[in-house]
Amino acid sequence: MALPLPPGLTPPEIAFICEMELVTIIPRQRLEGLELLGGPLKPLNPPQRAPIPLWLALLLKRQRRANIIPPPWLSPHSLAAILKFETKNSPDAFSPPPRLPPLPSSNTVPLSSPFLPSSTADAAADALPYHWLELGTMLLEAAPDDFEDADEVRKLLRGLREARMAKLRQGVEVLDAGGGFKMNGVGGMELGEARSFITGVVDGLRKIGKSKEEARKERDRENGYSPSQDYDDDDMDMR
Amino acid sequence: MDIDDILAEVDVDATPRETRDLQELTRAWVAERVAPEMMAWPGGLMERVLGRVGRQIELVEDQTGNMDPKTNFRLIVVQTEVERFKFLVRSFLRARLRKIDTHPLHILAKHTESDASHPLLSPAEYQYLTSHQALLAAHYGASFLSQFPNNLQRMDDTTGGISMVDKPDEDAAVLVRVLRDVGEVAVEGTDKKLDMKRGDVWVVRWSAVRGWVGSGDLEII
Repeated sequence: MALPLPPGLTPPEIAFICEMELVTIIPRQRLEGLELLGGPLKPLNPPQRAPIPLWLALLLKRQRRANIIPPPWLSPHSLAAILKFETKNSPDAFSPPPRLPPLPSSNTVPLSSPFLPSSTADAAADALPYHWLELGTMLLEAAPDDFEDADEVRKLLRGLREARMAKLRQGVEVLDAGGGFKMNGVGGMELGEARSFITGVVDGLRKIGKSKEEARKERDRENGYSPSQDYDDDDMDMR
Repeated sequence: MDIDDILAEVDVDATPRETRDLQELTRAWVAERVAPEMMAWPGGLMERVLGRVGRQIELVEDQTGNMDPKTNFRLIVVQTEVERFKFLVRSFLRARLRKIDTHPLHILAKHTESDASHPLLSPAEYQYLTSHQALLAAHYGASFLSQFPNNLQRMDDTTGGISMVDKPDEDAAVLVRVLRDVGEVAVEGTDKKLDMKRGDVWVVRWSAVRGWVGSGDLEII
């Protein structure tokens, strides 16, 4: 019964995580409150907006019991602005992710995507959240009638995806054996696609340079240096 | 924790306990799916989640006979969510089983080393591992090992500086998201010093960050 899948998340698993994101809906039918396993669901009273997980929103939408309000960043206006930023202002890095809420007290578990409300109706309009591509695609598929201009959104999402994939491919040049580079703003599905390549290259380069690194580790220990200290010798010239 | 702590916590963080448990379970599942090594068994979390799933299934069973369309739809919602939870828990356990099957002796040694209050394996996993290994050892012994000289019969030999016990690649590259500032992280054997700030996403060696993943300051993505 062991899992036959290799390490790393498969696209359906990424979509599964994305379905936990909160989205805002306008219910068309009453639904009494429910004690769900992932937290209580407040009663739905039309036409009051309510934030609910995406899987439930899709279920309600399919049965025509609710309309989904697309998040503000998924509007043609915002997407066009982000696309312009991605191509003109920051040709090398991804556009920054949405700003984080203040950190909760130290004894609680810090929330992260998909549990941050980054795709509700009052989310930020100027940044792509972690699950932007999955969420956008799912909403366009299940609820195209809730968009003002679904075709334009589709086109812009496609443009963004291509611009960002090109950056991921260009980023290959910075890969090296030690790992240690930032990928702020990367999306879940993009990561799923690029993961095996990135980790494969880093691991492969590390294995090639292994003997040199082992020798260096040994020297560091003999000299009593902590491995983090700067080390200045012929090792550096060989780069 | 006394009542004041609990009240203070409720004050700053209005997220319900159930949602936080789901966050933790999702995080543990992703970590187990991606990280090369096994994480400690989240005993308290699993107990709470499994208890809730069990009660929810009972509730569904109690109400299944009800033909009122309104209740019926409520049941569909509840059931859909139960299935989602069952998938999460199952995939989590199976990912752990895969690691136990791939590196049984290594994990057994790590489990013995681990703190009794935070064991690496759950009691059921430990039982599975030991009885599976006992069966394997008996089988190997009966089919060929017993015909070898005595000093070549061990399965965990370390003579000559090479250990027979396979272990996962602890330096494998992983992607982490920083949940709390951890400051500078050094990668052993290189000049790299990484300044990890909250919200950053880093590609980094598992061996350099595993402590922080365990303590919940970083999460695997």
